[in-house]
Amino acid sequence: MAEFKTFDEKGNEINVKKEDFTLIERDKKIHDAEFETKPTTFLKDAFKRFCKNKSSVVGAIIIGIIVLLALIVPIVSPHDIKSPSPDIIRLPAKLFNSGTGFWDGTKKCTHVVYDWEAEAPANYKKNAVLKITNYEDSYTDAVNKYASGGILIFLNDNVYEKGDDPLEKTDYIQNYSMYTINAVDNYILSVSLSNQDGLKDCKLGIYRILLVYGDKSITIKDWSRDYSDYQIDLSKVLKENNVNGKVKARIRVELQPELASDGSRVQSYIGINKLEITSSSTDETVIKELESISINDANATILAADRKSDGTFDIGYWQSTGRRELYQAIIRYVDFIYDVYEEKLGQTTKTIGKSTMDDYIKAGYCEYDYLVGPSSFKVLNEKKCPIVSVTSQSYNKKDQIYNIEVEVLNYKYKGYTSMPKFLFGTDKNGYDMVKLSFNGLRTSLILSVCASAVCFIFGLCWGAISGYFGGNIDLIMERFCDILGGIPWIVMMTLAIFYLGQNVVTFGIALCLTGWMGTAGRTRTQFYRFKGREYILASRTLGSSDMRLIFKHILPNAMGTIITSSVLMIPSTIFSESTLTYLGLLTLDTTTFGTILANNKLELSSNPILILFPAAIISLIMISFNLFGNGLRDAFNPSLKGSE
Amino acid sequence: MWKYVLKRIGLALVTAFIILSLSFILIKSLPYSKPLGTDDQKYSFYLQEVNLGFVVDLPVKTTGYGELLFSYTSGKTTHNFYQNPIFVQYFGWLTNIITKWDWGQSTYILPSNPAGPIIAQKLPASIKINILSVLVSVPLGILLGIIAALKKNTAIDHVISTTVMIFISIPSFVLITVLMVVLCYNLKWLPTQWPSSTAPTIEKIKGYILPVICLSFGSICGYARFTRAELCEVMESDYLLLARTKGLTKRQSIIRHALRNAMVPIVPSIIAEFIGVLGGSMILENLYGIPGIGSLYITAFNSKDYNVLFVDMALFTVIGLVAGVLLDISYGFIDPRIRMGAKK
Repeated sequence: MAEFKTFDEKGNEINVKKEDFTLIERDKKIHDAEFETKPTTFLKDAFKRFCKNKSSVVGAIIIGIIVLLALIVPIVSPHDIKSPSPDIIRLPAKLFNSGTGFWDGTKKCTHVVYDWEAEAPANYKKNAVLKITNYEDSYTDAVNKYASGGILIFLNDNVYEKGDDPLEKTDYIQNYSMYTINAVDNYILSVSLSNQDGLKDCKLGIYRILLVYGDKSITIKDWSRDYSDYQIDLSKVLKENNVNGKVKARIRVELQPELASDGSRVQSYIGINKLEITSSSTDETVIKELESISINDANATILAADRKSDGTFDIGYWQSTGRRELYQAIIRYVDFIYDVYEEKLGQTTKTIGKSTMDDYIKAGYCEYDYLVGPSSFKVLNEKKCPIVSVTSQSYNKKDQIYNIEVEVLNYKYKGYTSMPKFLFGTDKNGYDMVKLSFNGLRTSLILSVCASAVCFIFGLCWGAISGYFGGNIDLIMERFCDILGGIPWIVMMTLAIFYLGQNVVTFGIALCLTGWMGTAGRTRTQFYRFKGREYILASRTLGSSDMRLIFKHILPNAMGTIITSSVLMIPSTIFSESTLTYLGLLTLDTTTFGTILANNKLELSSNPILILFPAAIISLIMISFNLFGNGLRDAFNPSLKGSE
Repeated sequence: MWKYVLKRIGLALVTAFIILSLSFILIKSLPYSKPLGTDDQKYSFYLQEVNLGFVVDLPVKTTGYGELLFSYTSGKTTHNFYQNPIFVQYFGWLTNIITKWDWGQSTYILPSNPAGPIIAQKLPASIKINILSVLVSVPLGILLGIIAALKKNTAIDHVISTTVMIFISIPSFVLITVLMVVLCYNLKWLPTQWPSSTAPTIEKIKGYILPVICLSFGSICGYARFTRAELCEVMESDYLLLARTKGLTKRQSIIRHALRNAMVPIVPSIIAEFIGVLGGSMILENLYGIPGIGSLYITAFNSKDYNVLFVDMALFTVIGLVAGVLLDISYGFIDPRIRMGAKK
C-alpha cells in the first residue's frame, strides 16, 4: 500500500493514508446540465443577427412592401392600362384636392395671352382656371385677336394742299349696318374722343357727326374741335327734325383734312375711345344689337372689318373712306394656376348618339324624349348620370341619326363615380403611372426571379462539380468560364437579341447565359474552403458518396455565403433589363420596367415625373436590396462584418 | 514572376482569340446586312468584300451559295455576289487582320468605309471624358474613403457611408436623367446635348461637366467604399498597433504604415480602371449624345452594321481582358509579398 508523504509549511512530514482519500461525488449522479438557453440552428442564429441590423431590416421591409405593391396594385387599381384613352393623357400628379397648392393635379402656367372674349387664357378652359395669380399688360398698335380696347384712330387719307376746299376732301367712317331708332325710346349717343394730339405723327382734325337715314342726314354735331366726352339725345334730334316714327339709320363721322402750322401736308385724325348708342328700350335684341354696333372696343371694331367667309360683314363693321388704325390696345399676359383634371375630366360638351342616350335611359340615369327635345331632359340618378344638360338635338332624316349635343361630366362619362386621382399622373397614352409602373415591375420581378433561379441552380451545380472534384475537371471548367466571362455582357446580349429576336424570353435566356458564372465562382471557392475540412474527411472515411458529401456536408455550410451574393442578382437583372430597354437595344413586347422608362424618355424635359417616378422606384429597390444583401452577409458570416 | 506575367498574357490572348472567333462566326451567320446606296456604290462595296474573302463573285447564278446578294452587269460580264461559306469567311477575316489589319467595311454608318478608322474616329471623345472622370474620381473617392475610415463610427462616417451606398445603388441612367433634368432643363446651366464641334469653346467646356459628373459619381463611391474597407482593416492590424506602441503618433502611423498598406489593393484597381475607361459609358454617351464608341455601338446595333458592331465588340472584349490582366499583374509589382501564380 503506497503512502504519500508531504510536508506542511513548517517542514514537518505528514503521512497521508489511503483512507484519507474519499471520492466526494461517489453517490451523486453526474450528467451534463441542460442548456438554459434554447438550442438554435445556424439559420435561426443568422436570422437573429440579421434582425439586429436595423438598416437591413428596413431594406427588407421596403422590398417586401414594393413586391406586395407590385402584386396588388395592378389587380386593385381601377384605371385602364390596356387601351389608350386620348382625353386623359399627360395628367399631372394628384393626391390632394385641387386648389390645395401641392400635389393637386394643377399646373402653373406663366405668361399666357388672355383671351378677352372667352374670359380665359387663350386655348385654356375657363372653368379649369383656378386662379389668376398675376397679370401683365402690354400695349399694341397691331390688331390682334387677343387684344382689347385701345383707341380707334380714324385718319383722313385725302391729298390736301393749301387752297383746296376742306369740305370736298372730307373722309367719313360709318356703320355698315343700319339700325332702327325711334323718337320715343330715348336713344342716346355717348361720344368719347381722345384729346391727345400728335398720335402717329398726325394732327387732331375737325369732325362732325351725322345721323344718316335713307338719303337724308341730320347733323347732330357740327364741325368742331370738341374732343371732350359728351352725349347726344338722338330721339330728341329726330323729334326736332319732325321724324316721329321708326327710322333705319346709321351714324357717320366726317373728318376734314388739315394742314400743319407751317403749311406742309399732315394727316388729320380723330381718336375714338367710344361711340356708344344706348336706349331705354328693354327689348334684349335691341340692346344686344346696339351693343355690337357701337364702338366699345377699338380692337374688336377693326377686327370686325374683315369680310366673313360667306361674303357678308359682321354687324359691328364700320366702313370708312379713310384709314382706320388701332392705338394702344391692351394685350394681357396672365400667370395662373390651371386645374388639368377639371379641363380633361370636368364638364365638357360632347355629341352623343341615340344609342348612348338609350343606354343611360335604360340604366335609369335620366329621362329624355327625342320628340320633345332638349327641354325634356331630366336627371334621375344624380350620382351616376354623366349628362348634366342637353344643349341641342339634331336629326338626320336620311341616315336616321340623332346627334345630341350634351354637357357631360367627363369623369362620369368615363365610368368614374368621382373625379379620379392619378397619384403620379398619366403618360402619353392616358395610362395611370402608378398602375403601369407596378404592372411593369411585376413582370420585371417575375422575370428576374425566374432568371436568377435558373442561374443560381445551374451556377451551384457547376461550381459544386468544379470545386469538389478539382484537378483537370476544375481547370477545364474554369477556362470555359474565363472565356464566357470574357465576353462583355452587352456583346452577349446583342448576340442573343440577333439570334432569338426581341422578347422577354430572349432576354431571360441571355441573362442566364452569363448570369450563372458569379454563383459558380463563389460556390467553387466555398467548396475549396470546406472540402479539406476534417469532418468531410471523417464522412468520407465512413464511406459517404460524393453526392452525400456535396449536398449533405459541404453545401449547407456554403449556402449562406452563396445565397447572400446571389440575392443581388434580382435587382441587377431588373437593372440590366431597364438599362437595355432604356438604351433602345431591347424592345420588349411586354410592359416591363424598362419599357415604361423607354417610352417616356422623350418627355423628360416636358413632364419629368413620368421618368422620375419609375426611376425613384428602381433606385429604391436597388438601395433596399443592397442594404438587405449587406445585412444577410453580416448575418451569415459575422467575421466579414464591416468590410464591404 | 515574369513567367507568370507571360502566362497570364498568353492566356488572355487565347481567350480573346476564342471569343472573337466565336463572335465573328455568330455574327457572320446572321442574315447578310446589305449596304445602302446606288448600284455602282454597291458594286464597289461587293468587290471590296470579295477582296476581303467574305463574298464570292460568280459569272452565273448558282444555288449552292444560298441567297443571291447582289447582281450587277457591267458591259458583257455579269457579277453575281454570294456569301462565302462561313469558314471561308473566317479564314479570310483572320488573314486580313494578320496581313493587312483590315477589319471589314461599314455597310450603313459610312458605307464602304473601313470599320477600323470609324471606331478610331469615335475613340477620342470617349477617352477624353473618361480620363477626366478618372482624374476627378480617384482623388475624391480615396479622400472620402480615408475620412470615413479615420472617423469610423462617427456621424461623418455614417453620412459618407450612407451617401456612398445610395449612389452606388442608383442606376446610372437614373442619375444621368435626373442630373439632366435639373442642371440642363430646369436650371439651364449646362447644354442639354453634347456641343457640336463648331460650338464656342466655353460651350464645349460646359459640355464636359455633366458627363464627367455622371461618370465620376459611381467611381467616387466605389473608391470611397473600397478605401474605407481596406483602411479599416489595416487600422485594426497588429503591425499598426506595434507602430503605435513603439511611439509613432497617430498621424505618422497612418501616413507611413496604414495608408501605404491600404493602397495595395486600391492602386491596381485604379490602373485597371484607367484601361477600362476606354470602354466608355454606353448609357451616358447615348443619353447625352456624345459621339463616342458607346453610342456608335448602339447606332451600329440598330442599323445592323455588323462589321462596325463587331469591331466595337472586339474593342470592348479586349479592353475587358487587358484590364483584367493588368489588375492581376500589378498586384505582384506593387506588393512584393504577393506572389502571383505561386503554388500554395
